Amino acid sequence: MAETAQWTPRSAWAGIAQPGTFGAAGRGGVTATLLEGHGLASLIAAPGGAEALARRVEQSLGLALPTAPRIVSGAGHDVIWSGPDQWLLRARSRGEMPSLIAELARYAAVSDQSDARAALRLSGPHLRDALAKGVMIDLHPAAFAVGDAAATSVAHLGVQLWRLPDAAEGPAFEIMVARSLAGSFWSWFAASAAEFGCRVVAGRG
Amino acid sequence: MRITCPYCGARDAQEFSYLGAADPVRPDGMAAAEAAMADYVYLRDNPAGPHRELWYHGSGCRSWLIVTRDTRTHAISAVEPAKVRKAGEAA
Ligand SMILES: [Zn+2]
Repeated sequence: MAETAQWTPRSAWAGIAQPGTFGAAGRGGVTATLLEGHGLASLIAAPGGAEALARRVEQSLGLALPTAPRIVSGAGHDVIWSGPDQWLLRARSRGEMPSLIAELARYAAVSDQSDARAALRLSGPHLRDALAKGVMIDLHPAAFAVGDAAATSVAHLGVQLWRLPDAAEGPAFEIMVARSLAGSFWSWFAASAAEFGCRVVAGRG
Repeated sequence: MRITCPYCGARDAQEFSYLGAADPVRPDGMAAAEAAMADYVYLRDNPAGPHRELWYHGSGCRSWLIVTRDTRTHAISAVEPAKVRKAGEAA
C-alpha cells in the first residue's frame, strides 16, 4: 500500500491535449472540451434480464433505458445505448460510482469504465465539417437528431458518440474513445479540425 | 458496400467482419460420422445468387448478424440478428 498511496489520478488527455488554440487563427470553427471527473460503467443485462434492469435504473436514477441507439439524460446521470441489452451509464460525480455499481450489479454485469475512456464535448459552426473527415455515418440534423447515439469507428478507432442539444456556437456532440487510443484519436481530430481553427478547454463530464 | 445493421442502421462494410456461411450446423462431434464432420468443416456451397452468411458488427453494437447477400451483385436482401435463428434452433 505504501506505493499505491503515492499514486495520483492522471487525465486521459494528459500529455496529449491541453487547453489553448490550434489551427487557423481567429476562426474558432470547433471547440473541444476535455471532459474530466465523471464516472462511467458498462451495463450488460443477462438474457431475459433487461426489463428488471430497466425497472431498477428507472427507480434509482429516474431514467428510462433506451432500446434504440439514443442517450437519455437526467440531472446527474446519462444512459447511452451501446448494443442490444447493453448500455453505458455516466454519473456527473465519480464519487458515487462504487455504490451505484454495487446496486446495479444485482441486475446486470457491471464494469467500471471511469478511467477506461477519454471523453470530449465538441461544438462549433464547423464541427460537422471536421467530423465528416472520419465519421462514416450521416450526422446531418435530418439524419441524426438530438439525443441520437452511435457506436462506430473513426480512423479505425472504435468510438461512441451522441448529439447534444445545439450550443450557442453551433451543433454539439460528445465522443468517447478507449483511453489507450486517445493519442491516436487526437492525432486524427487535430488534423481534421485545424483548418477550421480549434479552441481547447478543460471541463467536466 | 454498406450493411444495414438491424440495431445500428446502415454502416460501411469495414465496420463488420465476415465469418462465412450461416447455415451449416455443427454435428454432434461425439456421435456424428466422420464424413458428416468433414462435410461441416470443409465443404461449402458456392452459390451464384443469394447466400446467407454471418457478419459480426465489431465496430458497432458487437452483434452477430445473418446477411443474405447476392454473390453476383452484392445486393443485400435481408439482415437479421443471428441470435434469433439460434433461439429457433433450440426449439
Ligand atoms: Zn450494429
